[in-house]
Formats: sequence, structure tokens, C-alpha cells
Amino acid sequence: MLAVVGPGIITANVDNDAGGITTYSVAGGDYGYSLLWMMPFVLLALIIVQEMCARLGVVTGKGLADLIRESMGVRLTTLILSLLVFVNLANTVSEFAGVAASMEIFGVSKFVSVPLAAIGVWLLVYKGDYKTTERVFLIASSIYLAYIASGYLAHPDWGEVGKAFVTPNFKLEVGYVTLFVTIIGTTIAPWMQFYQQASLVDKGIRVEDYKYEIVDVVVGSIFAVIVAAFIVIACGATIHKQGIMVESAKDAAIALGPLAGKYAQILFALGLLNASLFSAAILPLSTAYSVCEAFGWESSLSSEVKDAKVFFTIYTALIVLGASIILLPIKSLIQAMMASQTLNGILLPVILITMLHLINNRQLMGKYTMSRWLNIVAWITAIILIILAVILLILSIFPGLFR
Amino acid sequence: MPYISQFMGRPIVDLDGEVIGSLSEVLAHKVGEISHPKIVAIEAKKGSHTIMIPFSDVAAFVIPAIALNKRKKQIIPYEPGEHDLYLIRDVLDKQIIDTNGVRVVRVNDLEITRVENEFFIANVDTSSSGLLRRLGLDAISKRFSNKGKRGAQPGNISWDDVELLSTDQPMRLKVPGEKLAELHPADLAEILSDLSRQEGRDILESLDLETLADTLEEVEPEFQVSLLEGMPDERVADVLEEMEPDEAADLLAELPKDRSQELLELMEDEEAQDVRKLLAYPDNTAGGIMTTEYITIPPDITAEQAMVVIREQGEEAEVYYYIYVTDSAGHLLGVLSLRELVLAQPKTKISDIMVKRLVTVHLEDTQDDCAQSVAKYDLIAIPVVDDDNILHGIVTADDAIDKIIPTTWKKRLPRLYH
Repeated sequence: MLAVVGPGIITANVDNDAGGITTYSVAGGDYGYSLLWMMPFVLLALIIVQEMCARLGVVTGKGLADLIRESMGVRLTTLILSLLVFVNLANTVSEFAGVAASMEIFGVSKFVSVPLAAIGVWLLVYKGDYKTTERVFLIASSIYLAYIASGYLAHPDWGEVGKAFVTPNFKLEVGYVTLFVTIIGTTIAPWMQFYQQASLVDKGIRVEDYKYEIVDVVVGSIFAVIVAAFIVIACGATIHKQGIMVESAKDAAIALGPLAGKYAQILFALGLLNASLFSAAILPLSTAYSVCEAFGWESSLSSEVKDAKVFFTIYTALIVLGASIILLPIKSLIQAMMASQTLNGILLPVILITMLHLINNRQLMGKYTMSRWLNIVAWITAIILIILAVILLILSIFPGLFR
Repeated sequence: MPYISQFMGRPIVDLDGEVIGSLSEVLAHKVGEISHPKIVAIEAKKGSHTIMIPFSDVAAFVIPAIALNKRKKQIIPYEPGEHDLYLIRDVLDKQIIDTNGVRVVRVNDLEITRVENEFFIANVDTSSSGLLRRLGLDAISKRFSNKGKRGAQPGNISWDDVELLSTDQPMRLKVPGEKLAELHPADLAEILSDLSRQEGRDILESLDLETLADTLEEVEPEFQVSLLEGMPDERVADVLEEMEPDEAADLLAELPKDRSQELLELMEDEEAQDVRKLLAYPDNTAGGIMTTEYITIPPDITAEQAMVVIREQGEEAEVYYYIYVTDSAGHLLGVLSLRELVLAQPKTKISDIMVKRLVTVHLEDTQDDCAQSVAKYDLIAIPVVDDDNILHGIVTADDAIDKIIPTTWKKRLPRLYH
């Protein structure tokens, strides 16, 4: 069983990347506990989506990009992957924004930290031993536990927190809906589906071991969502109560200092740095693999760059663009970060419908297609997400519509 | 020559000019000696209704519209057989193995060629211009392909060199790919590295025992283990017997203790014994990388008699070129090359012609030491001895330099997760 566990938990861990931490901080800071009620639903959706990924990967032994190409033809593949590359670029930008923000807390200028991080990440994958690196990052991920600690240190009123979990509410205003979609988009980020499935396929998990893989998926998802909830609680108990408006994880970390102690602030910043670096390394790599997989271009990272031109071009371009956009005089890094998460929320329904289409393809999945009730739940999830994405689009074009 | 993508979705019209549907599938199969599949039927789709039309009913197979020589009612639907290939469903957009270029590529399009009134699949198009054509950007695609010379386009693979890779559950590749079996095991190993584990396992399953063993030897132990996962123990044991003992030992060392014990018990005693011996040494020492399959002769026989002994032992040996001379207790006395033996007078005694000044390594010497000695003295293999100068095995040059000059496997960076 231990041999099988891994991809789900890792995916869930990487899930709380720079964009995620920012989103949860802002959600807690601006709206207090009032968005907590959606966490159980997000968890459910996350488990369903990750389970679909695991199922597709284990049964077919192929990556998601591969399956999309093989069963949906060139045109749809091009469309979906172009969207993915665009959204992933936005995500990469947000990871570097996370690097910049966390280092600024320690007084390091982004003009130093971001180029260094970009070069480091590039070399790491090109020259380094990825396996070791991944382990280092994973161990460092235990810093996430610090967020749970920060939550406690913030001394929330647990009665109030508990009540918030069971009190659904919904506000038709841009900020609220944006956060709503963004939370879903960042927790169930589309690129994670590609990454998780590739991991599973790479690990060569067999259909017979699928039952263990589900445990992996569920445990990983629960951990990810608990961490997310605690970030919201920590910021809700401190920043929101003081009436401070936060714009970013950096603001949140700084605001946490006087309210919950210096350690909470440092841990918060380190967690953000680790998450940002880890995702900045994986995201461009995962994107380049997906594109090359779909179009049949050489994608092994052998020492010869000329053998895998496209692969290296995409990989390098994502890092270079991602890092340089952050260095442009953008007013607020947070805007870039939140925008990328919102794009995730919009791409997600497309990927979900694609996955539902694939997973119900009997020719592909044999007897492992989804059961009827899982299908119903998955479709409801997809439909809710589509409605939310549409509302978000309308609100961003006509911000005053519901006022 | 036209491409299959240019026909996809085109209307199929019967004798009365009625549109039966649009082309949604093309069936082909091999006929006689010709290695290229011949188109035998096309499928017309209208709404949710499909009909498989025998290709003999097609009057004109041209791009704007496909004309039939029958009326709709007269068509007797084609019954797909076991050997029919669904070109759009199972070949287009799928991965195939290019056995000539030794790599795994994705099919962007299929080129059709006409021979008299019959249509065959000539080439598989894996080029970027093929992708553009599929995207409907014909003009750009043509400009691309005109740059190259006529005839052989880069990215065009003749069907002769194509091996299909169908892991879709309902129709697995039942017959082992003949073209694959002809490849060098090292090439096969490289192809395996391009495939997912599951596809890799499927290919291995289709190989015969000997090819399978040879191919596995070219693969890194870690990858070997994942490829062997799920293979029945009996077969794994057979494969291990077939492999060189040192390679088999490396593989077993990667497995969990209890599974490797089980496998050793399933193996033939003789082979298992060799492997057990090797397993006792750490894998980065001479003892760990040596092989126990070599030729030994006693010192007191003649060159003529030695040839007879070699003929008997030679079958199993990994390196034929060196013949080691040992006494009855196994002490290493000398060595001679096959060349020296062949050129010697038949009646000469071995002890008179053998080389007594020997380069050896100790069982516990590192792999690095072995490589150094092999390189310094230009050897093909180096004998491994213990403190008492008893011969235990030989390290071949390729095993010695293995760690220093990485194979393609090592160059390949781990993918996303390991």
C-alpha cells in the first residue's frame, strides 16, 4: 500500500501554492469566517475530481493530455492546451509573485529574489536531481502545519467558527463571487489534474491497486482543505476582526505579526516561499510535458537540448515570462495572483467536462467507467462551476450590474 | 498524395445523388504480401446512424465528395473482421513505434496512395505540417512541406517501419510485433523509456523469453522492477534464469526481500546458486557486478584438448575471448586469449603458453577500480579473486564502465514523480 500512496498527497500539497495561500488569506481577511461554509463542498469537489484523475490514469496508463489528443482530435486538443498554457503562464506569474512577496517580508527586493528564483528553478530541472529536490520540498511542506498552528495562535472564537461552517450565505457582489470562484479555482486548479495524472502514470500504478490510490486521494484532499480552512480562520480571527483590509499573503503575514506573534509571521512567510518555489518548479515542467505529450514532440529531458527543442522552449519561456512579468511595474502583485486563480476557475469547467467525457468512454475505460451516482455528483459539480464562472465573467465585464 | 484527414467528414453520395452521410471511419487490412494495409471499407455517419460501406461500392474516392456506384438500398453493409484496422479510431492521433528511427511518435495524419483502383496506406505523417493540416491551416501546411524536397518528407514514416501500440482495453495487440522482435535489445529498451509503464509492460509481455531477458538487461534496475510488477512469478523466474547472473542479481537486489527469495526458489538450482553468490556482495563492488559465466581450463592439458573444453563451456560464457587457467582448487594461475590458443601448436601445454602476470581485482574493490584497470590495460574483462587468489568471477568491460558512461537511461531525467 505504501508503494501506491504518494501522487494524491503530493498533488494536494502542491495544491496550496502561492495563489492558494493568497486567496485563502484574502478570503479570511476580507470576509472573516463567512466563506468557511463552502470548504466541505470544495473538499467534496476536490475528492471527486482527483478521483476521476486517478481513475483515468490508472486504468488507461496515459496522461490527461495524451487522452485528450487521442479521443478528441487535433482541434479540440489545440484549443484546450492553448488555454492551459495561457492559464499556466498566469499561474507561473503568481508563483513568482509569491516568491517576491515572501522575500519582501524579509526585506529582499523582488529584483533580487525573482531572477535568482527563476535561474535556480531552471537549473534545478535542467541539471539537478529532481527526485531529491521533490523530497526536500515535500519535507518543507510540513511548514503547512504552521498554518494550522497560526490558526490556533490567533485564538479564534471556535463557536463562531463552527457556526460559520454550517451557515451558507452568498453575496452577489464582485469581490465575493470572485473569491468564491477563485477559491474553487485554486483548490481544484486545472494544471493539478494534468500533474497528478502524469505522476500516477509515471509511477505505473496498476488497476489492482486502485483501491489504495483512493485512500491516497482522500487523505491528500482532506489535508489540503484543512490547511486552507485554517489559513482562512487565522486571518479571519485576527485581521478581519481588526478591520484591516488585506490585499495579499504578504499583507496578511505582516498583519499577523503584531496580532499573533512574530513566529506566526515568519512561518507564514516561509510557508509561502516554499509553496511558491515548489510550484514554480513544477508548473512550467508539467505544462511543457502536457503540450509535448499531446502533440507527440520529444519531451525527455536528456542532456541534448536540440533533441527536445519544443519542450525546452516552452519550459524556458514559461519561467522567463513568468519571472519578467513580475518585474514589470505592476501596481499590485496581488492582482496578478488573483487573476491567475480566477482564470483557473474559468478553465476548470472545460477540463471537467473533458474528463467526464473521457471517463465515461467505455472503449477507453472498459468496466471502469464511473458509477451512476458519481456521474450525477460530478455533473452537478461541473454545472455549478460553469454557472459560477459565467456569473464571474458577467460581473467582471459589468461590475455594477447587481448593485 | 491525399491524406486521410482530408476525407474525414466529407459527404458520401450514392448513385442518385443522395447524401448517405459523412465519412467517419476508414477500415483497412493487409492483403497478401503487401505490407501496406489496403482500404476495404468506409463508414458513413448521419446523425446517430452509421453504415459500413464496402470499398468496392465506391466509384470515386476524391476529396470534395465520395461517390458510390450503388443506390443506398443496394448497399450490403461490410462486416468488419478480426484483422481490420480502424484507421481513425485506432491509428490516427495515437502513438506508434517508428522501428526505423527507434522512437515513439504520434500519428498526425495518414497518407493514402493509389495503386490502380486500390487505395493503400503509404505513410504515417508525424510532422508539424500534418498538425497544421488537421487544424485546417492547409495553406501554411503546404508552404511548410514545400520547403522539403519531394518524396521523403521528414516526419513521414513508411508503414513498413510502423508498429502499432494499441493498449486500448478491448483490442490489445495480440500478436507480438514482428518488427519489434527484430530490434536490438538496447533499442527496444530505449523505446520502453518513451512509453508509459503500462504500455511498456504490454510490449514486454509480447516478447519471447530471450528477447525479454536481453531487453531487461539494458534497462536500469529501478525501471526493471516496475516493468516486472504484475508479471507472474513463474515467468519472472524464467526471465531471471535467462539473464546474465550479475544482471539478475542486480534486479533481485531491487526487489523486496521476500519476493526475491520466492523468485530464487522458483529458479533452477544452478542459476539460483550463481545469483545467490553474487547477491552476497554490495552492488558497487567487483563482487557485485561480476559474472560467474566464464571459461576455465586446467593448466596441464594441451592446446588441442583445451579447444574441446571450450566448445563444451563456451555456450554459457559471457566473454569468449579470455580463457582462464585454474587449478583444481580454483586458484587463478594464468590467462590466455582465444587468439593465442588458436595460433598455438596443438600439442603445446597450456601452462607453457599462458600469461602468468595477471591483472586482477579483489572481490571488494570498487566498480571504479575495475573501470580504471580495464581502461588502463585495455581489457575486455578482468578476473575477480579473493584473498587466496581463488577466481570468483569476471567483470566485463561494459559492466565496469556502466556507471561512468551513463546510458540513455541515466541521461533521462526522472519525470514528474518517482
